[in-house]
Amino acid sequence: MSTGARTYPPAHEPLISGDKTLKQITEDVCAPIERRPTWLWWVGFLASFCALVLGIAAVSYQVATGIGTWGLNRTVGWAFDITNFVFWIGIGHAGTLISAILFLFRQKWRTSINRSAEAMTIFAVMCAGVFPLIHMGRPWLAYWVLPYPNYRGPLWVNFRSPLLWDVFAISTYFTISAVFWFLGLVPDLATLRDRATTKIRKFLFGLFSLGWDGSNRTWMRYETVYLLLAGLATPLVLSVHTIVSFDFATSVIPGWHTTIFPPYFVAGAIFSGFGMVLTLMLVTRKVLRFEDYITIGHIEAMCKIIIATGSIVGLAYGTEFFMAWYSANEYERFVFFNRALGPFAWAYWTMVLCNVITPQLLWFKKIRTNPGIVFVLSLVVNVGMWFERFVIIVTSLHRDYLPSSWADYSPTLVEVSTLVGSFGLFFTCFFLFARFLPMIAMGEIKGVVGYTERTTNVHE
Amino acid sequence: MNTRAITNLLLVGIGLGILVLFPKISGFHLPGNQKDYSPVQPIAFSHRLHAGELSVPCIYCHYGAERSRHAGVPSFSVCMNCHRFVTATFGAVRAEDELAQKEKRDPRRVVSPEILKIYDAMGLDESMKRDPSKPLTPVSWIKVHNLPDFVYFDHRRHVNVGVECQRCHGPVETMERVTQVLDLSMGFCVNCHRDITKNGLNGKSVNASIDCGGCHY
Amino acid sequence: MPGNDRKSLEERDGDPDFLRGPEDEFPEVPATEGGRTGFSRRSFLKAAGFATAGALMGCKPAPLKKAIPYLIPAEEITPGRAYWYASMCGACPAGCGILIKNRDGRPIKLEGNPAHPLARGGLCVVGQAAVLGLYDSQRLKAPVSGGKESSWPAVDEAIRGRLKKIRASRGKVRFLTGTITSPTARRMISSFMASFADGKQVVYDALSASAILDAHEASHGARVLPRYLFDRADCIVSFDADFLGTWISPVEYTAGYTAKRALPALSHHTQIESRLSLTGSNADKRIRVGPSDIGLVLAHLARRLAEDAGSPLSFRTLPPLPIDTGALNEMIERLLSNRGKSLVVSGLNDVDAQRLVNLVNHILGNYGTTLDVKRPSYQKQGNDRDLYALLDDMESGEVAGIFLHGVNPVYDLPDGTRFAAAMKKVGLVVGFAERSDETASLAHHICPEHHFLESWSDAEPVAGILTITQPAIRPLGGTRSLMESISAWMGTPKADYDLLREAWRSSVFTRQTLERSYQAFWDKTVHDGYAMVGATPVGTHPFSSSVMKGVPGPRPAEWTLVLYAKIGLLDGRHAHNPWLQELPDPISKITWDNYVNVSPATAARFGISDGDVLRIAAGSVAVELPAHVQPGQHDAVASIALGYGRKGTDRFANVGPQWLEGRPTVPEGGLVGKNAAPFRGFDGRSIQDWKPGVTVTRTGRRYDLASAQTYHSLSVPERMRGANPEPRPIVQEATLDAFLKNPAAGATRGEDPASLWPEDHKYTGARWGMAIDLSACTGCGACVVACQAENNVPVVGKDEVRRRREMHWIRIDRYYAERGNGDVGVVFQPVMCHQCGNAPCETVCPVLATVHSSEGLNQQVYNRCVGTRYCANNCPYKVRRFNWFDYPHEDKLQNMVLNPDVTIRSRGIMEKCTFCVQRIQEAKAEARRQGRTLMDGDVQPACMQSCPAKAIAFGNANDPESTVSKRKRDPRWYRVLAELNVDPSVGYLRVIRNREEG
Repeated sequence: MSTGARTYPPAHEPLISGDKTLKQITEDVCAPIERRPTWLWWVGFLASFCALVLGIAAVSYQVATGIGTWGLNRTVGWAFDITNFVFWIGIGHAGTLISAILFLFRQKWRTSINRSAEAMTIFAVMCAGVFPLIHMGRPWLAYWVLPYPNYRGPLWVNFRSPLLWDVFAISTYFTISAVFWFLGLVPDLATLRDRATTKIRKFLFGLFSLGWDGSNRTWMRYETVYLLLAGLATPLVLSVHTIVSFDFATSVIPGWHTTIFPPYFVAGAIFSGFGMVLTLMLVTRKVLRFEDYITIGHIEAMCKIIIATGSIVGLAYGTEFFMAWYSANEYERFVFFNRALGPFAWAYWTMVLCNVITPQLLWFKKIRTNPGIVFVLSLVVNVGMWFERFVIIVTSLHRDYLPSSWADYSPTLVEVSTLVGSFGLFFTCFFLFARFLPMIAMGEIKGVVGYTERTTNVHE
Repeated sequence: MNTRAITNLLLVGIGLGILVLFPKISGFHLPGNQKDYSPVQPIAFSHRLHAGELSVPCIYCHYGAERSRHAGVPSFSVCMNCHRFVTATFGAVRAEDELAQKEKRDPRRVVSPEILKIYDAMGLDESMKRDPSKPLTPVSWIKVHNLPDFVYFDHRRHVNVGVECQRCHGPVETMERVTQVLDLSMGFCVNCHRDITKNGLNGKSVNASIDCGGCHY
Repeated sequence: MPGNDRKSLEERDGDPDFLRGPEDEFPEVPATEGGRTGFSRRSFLKAAGFATAGALMGCKPAPLKKAIPYLIPAEEITPGRAYWYASMCGACPAGCGILIKNRDGRPIKLEGNPAHPLARGGLCVVGQAAVLGLYDSQRLKAPVSGGKESSWPAVDEAIRGRLKKIRASRGKVRFLTGTITSPTARRMISSFMASFADGKQVVYDALSASAILDAHEASHGARVLPRYLFDRADCIVSFDADFLGTWISPVEYTAGYTAKRALPALSHHTQIESRLSLTGSNADKRIRVGPSDIGLVLAHLARRLAEDAGSPLSFRTLPPLPIDTGALNEMIERLLSNRGKSLVVSGLNDVDAQRLVNLVNHILGNYGTTLDVKRPSYQKQGNDRDLYALLDDMESGEVAGIFLHGVNPVYDLPDGTRFAAAMKKVGLVVGFAERSDETASLAHHICPEHHFLESWSDAEPVAGILTITQPAIRPLGGTRSLMESISAWMGTPKADYDLLREAWRSSVFTRQTLERSYQAFWDKTVHDGYAMVGATPVGTHPFSSSVMKGVPGPRPAEWTLVLYAKIGLLDGRHAHNPWLQELPDPISKITWDNYVNVSPATAARFGISDGDVLRIAAGSVAVELPAHVQPGQHDAVASIALGYGRKGTDRFANVGPQWLEGRPTVPEGGLVGKNAAPFRGFDGRSIQDWKPGVTVTRTGRRYDLASAQTYHSLSVPERMRGANPEPRPIVQEATLDAFLKNPAAGATRGEDPASLWPEDHKYTGARWGMAIDLSACTGCGACVVACQAENNVPVVGKDEVRRRREMHWIRIDRYYAERGNGDVGVVFQPVMCHQCGNAPCETVCPVLATVHSSEGLNQQVYNRCVGTRYCANNCPYKVRRFNWFDYPHEDKLQNMVLNPDVTIRSRGIMEKCTFCVQRIQEAKAEARRQGRTLMDGDVQPACMQSCPAKAIAFGNANDPESTVSKRKRDPRWYRVLAELNVDPSVGYLRVIRNREEG
């Protein structure tokens, strides 16, 4: 009769490699926050900050002078402004998806990317929020879109207007994402508090960690709330972009007036969202040396999601054309002929190339597992998705019913600067985040350490 | 005990604070709301005396109200219809007469300083004749009831349907100096229009439209 | 109704108290010349205007609002009420009757006088825009002597002195004028000239009809312009006469023309021309020939008709007919079958051609029916030969003094430079121009005349129809009317008002029998705006077909240059009017420029595309202008509009917004367009507006033209036809035959699908609607400017138009349809807000800035708008206009023209056609005041009111008897994009053309 230990083969690829001890994890994640910023950080930060300043200048000039400083005209009333808005909202989607839905589905691998994905969401929604505001002719009266008691008798807001729905959808989305993100931060903030060397850090982290004591009780409550929030946030992932798509779907303009928009937009949003997450993650893991935490496995997983959603988008493009032909409506048909052959054909085909064709490369494991190529592809996806919105908005508007009103559109300097500025805002925020807060959810990642080998003693 | 003292102190303080601040708070208006506006006019014309005591109908002076969008400020020729003869308060004239009888002389002409402003403006001499040497100096009154430029209020329509002036201007016939008593906000207009459409005006049913295009174009 | 409030200034003259009052009420206003009480009330109106303007004009609210009442009011004036004065439009010699809308002392709008026998209530773009000219701050405010501002006494002194010398030396004096329709003024000029040993009035028109008069001198013995009665013509053949657009009296002709095109009867109109004119675009049959061949076709026509008539012409052999004989035969058939009911006109300023025209009309027996030479028209009186005789005299130094009134020869003559040089040889040159223009700036003295809205005058545009021009405002500057100036120089200074009264008593009152008392006659005339009096028939001898020699026109060259007048600028006299500069040309839709039109075939041949700068040269004359490819133009023709490149139009450099990428409306140091007059020619008898054998070369440079429409067909581009080969059913067309067979011919789609929704928003009261008869609409654009004047629509400048941001609330869409071999069919469609019942714009506005009214109006509430532009995006008709910038008047004084009843829109706000809701409200208020209900016709939107063709009908669609309802029952009725179920309140009546299929 003898006793012996038998090791079972791992049930799972390790989620984080280089079998880290819990201490190491803390060290690694806190490192970028506690050491002085690298020159790389400075370069990135300053670059994006300059972009931000340029954007601020452009917007101030436009608000002071008039919307006329954009290339719009009486036929094309929206172009860059709403394109950017939808683009950024789309980006924002991955965050909630990763943090909420993947959480509910118990996708453990999310743990190493959810923190930064959520942060990205918040910054993206901030960028998005700017555009509905500045695209108004009289932004200083923007508060009129809020239903508040006033002296005007019956005059309130128009609940039939998709723009109003946007207001609610986006503000809700932003709030939930922000709360969710912050809550997730609490345990790590506590960790930072305890490691803090300077008084000020201690105070601030202490303040925001809400007196976290790591006790079983706190952990339990934390988990419950987190679960609840995840539940709350999940429907938003679908609702927000659905509502954004209503801005177009509820109109009478051929090319906009389409029932396929809600699913099409949501898929597109997730597509672009993951594109952006990949872009950021691939940089982060290199710059902050997080290769062990954000492993090839993570990248692959995200690539798969991209293929899936990308294909949905591709399908949607096809469906649009089919429906246009099938409707036998001359205006509807023309819009799509005009997209593919008209003055904006270049934009249309860029979109198709970037969103439908190139992502197909990700079917190959070799490519999926090559960070370099994936990085490039993720950028391509971002470009493609921006053009998708541009194509939908501009090509539908610029040639609609009465040929007498057909017009062209070309952006002005101010518009381009504003777009650049929005990227400036986004990356400035992200760099600050990377500098001052833990990019990876230590608390959660620790939960998946040793997720690999399960050793048990067997008696005979 | 100590805490109670503090609590009481606070309560008192709050009470006093409210008492002090109340007038300010009650007098607070959102921008654009000119309620209680009561500017000093170049001539101290008393609506109380004319419209109240002497019960001159509003339309007599503000004749525009019947046929134009603007009620109009009466021209001095209208004032002169009476003030060609009425030069001062009855009391003053009577006093002068009595004095004159005492002193056995013809009563001098008494002209109240405010009414004198009319004569000066019109360049009239003692004998109410136009004195070419005197310049004509139109008087600029200060508008009390102002609506924004994008509101087209039409007196004509309201007067002709029988809305009494007080409904918007308040009891002008009791005012020494005209004051805006209502906020004249859009809510005020609309609520009145609704009410009248529902309950009619002086017995007859009126359709007071609340179309935006009724006032904004 | 305007009529109700119409007063003559005269009526108010009766009141002594009133006369006294204002005289000295505003001492700072200089007393009018001669202390004429007749004018005092204008100072009054003006002052009143200033007093209330600030409060009413809708500018930023002042912190403290003042109200300054009159001391003594005019008994008729109630602040806030509009008053209407009948008068006559002086913007061109056509003499259309107008009603001047006066508000708080300012004329703010001109409208056609419905009672007037010539215009019949219509008014053209120029007339509509004339009111803006009144407030042009660059008009001279005082006389100018030797380039320096002077005073009347000084100038009069100088001129009288000079004239004394001339009288002594028995020198030649000439009074060079444009056509003057005022009999009083003409009489004064002649008596003035008679006071000299050798004094003579010389008349010429920049847009000359001299040949017509010459031809009639030959054929009828009287140098007259016949009155053309289009309303009696069942068959019209026009040889290059743009009578619906710019020829002689377009509004009068349009009214007559459309009167004969009331279905089911339809006159037939053939147009033979070399460039696509507005008239040609409306013709039933349009024949495209080179300018030199127009006369040839005419000659063939004349010869054939003469042979039929049995009095063959002694022509030397004619060159072959340049068009296919079938067309000519058909034309002749039509003409002969309409003897006495046909009309042949020609715009060629060529005596031979005009003689042929007279012959043709004579053979067809049209004299006395469709042409009236007994009671002729005085709308053109020019004599080109006299002009050139004068020019020779001036050069030979014989002319001692010359007066220049209403002309600008240095600018618009073929050889203006020659005239300028000749002027230096004249001892005394006196101009009457309103500004120091090309010619006046060379004069010794400029005695600026009043604007026609500022002065008393009269007119007899057609024998027996007289009009009084009455002032509607005190002169804004120290100007003086022509009659006053002349009387001053003749030593008996009188007020034009008195001069007019005297003249009328002696020479007009006597011509009528209706009124016994002169005062009554005068009052009636001033009130009505016109008087019909007897006219002694012009003595004419029976038609003499004497010397019908030669074929007009030299042989065609590769390039022939044709010069034409644009509907807005005419001969250039209105080049300073921004409304007209920004009015899209009815055909090309281009604003703010003139350009070289070339046909598509030619453009393809020489590789010319829109905007290529071409150099047109003929001998020493050359001009560089951008090209515009114009369908329907003859391949051998390049055409350029006259009236551009006027001195002083560089003022428009700062029209429109200035910003980072903004471009000036006028290039640095440049003018608006270029002057093409130097290309004109004088053939010894008349001024020619075309020149064969010019050279056209490409400079390789490019120039952006600002067009209000950049796609010109109802069919989608060639390579996208897969979408739908058929043209879009936006404008529906049918031929007369098809229409007679089936009144609904041309319908492409049944009416709207029935709605599934319950009718839960019933229109219990009125439902305002509009019906536009596309068969009647000629596309002239009068509605566009009328709307601009009524609704304070801003001028945005060339760069903004180029960016497709023009602000006009009503636009006229123009679509071409290829008809093979270079011919083109044209349709016009006025489009304003369709006030949809289920308006797509309304649902999408987040702040309820655009909502539906209980009367079916789609209201736009400017002060609520935050400017998301969603409504504009969602508008299928694209009629919403956004204020991309603030668009202030370039000339601050022009704020005086603003309509106080319409809010001024600030930057960042959406605006659009409101169906003139301010007029609806006014009409309602008045109806209630008078205790009556609103009647059909009480409300007339500006566009409808000014339409010379009466194409637009507006009214209550809930009233089955209203004109709109009647038109809705018309089988031609259709609604654009009704299939979207937006339920538009605007509908159209199908175009019916009297042409054969295809």
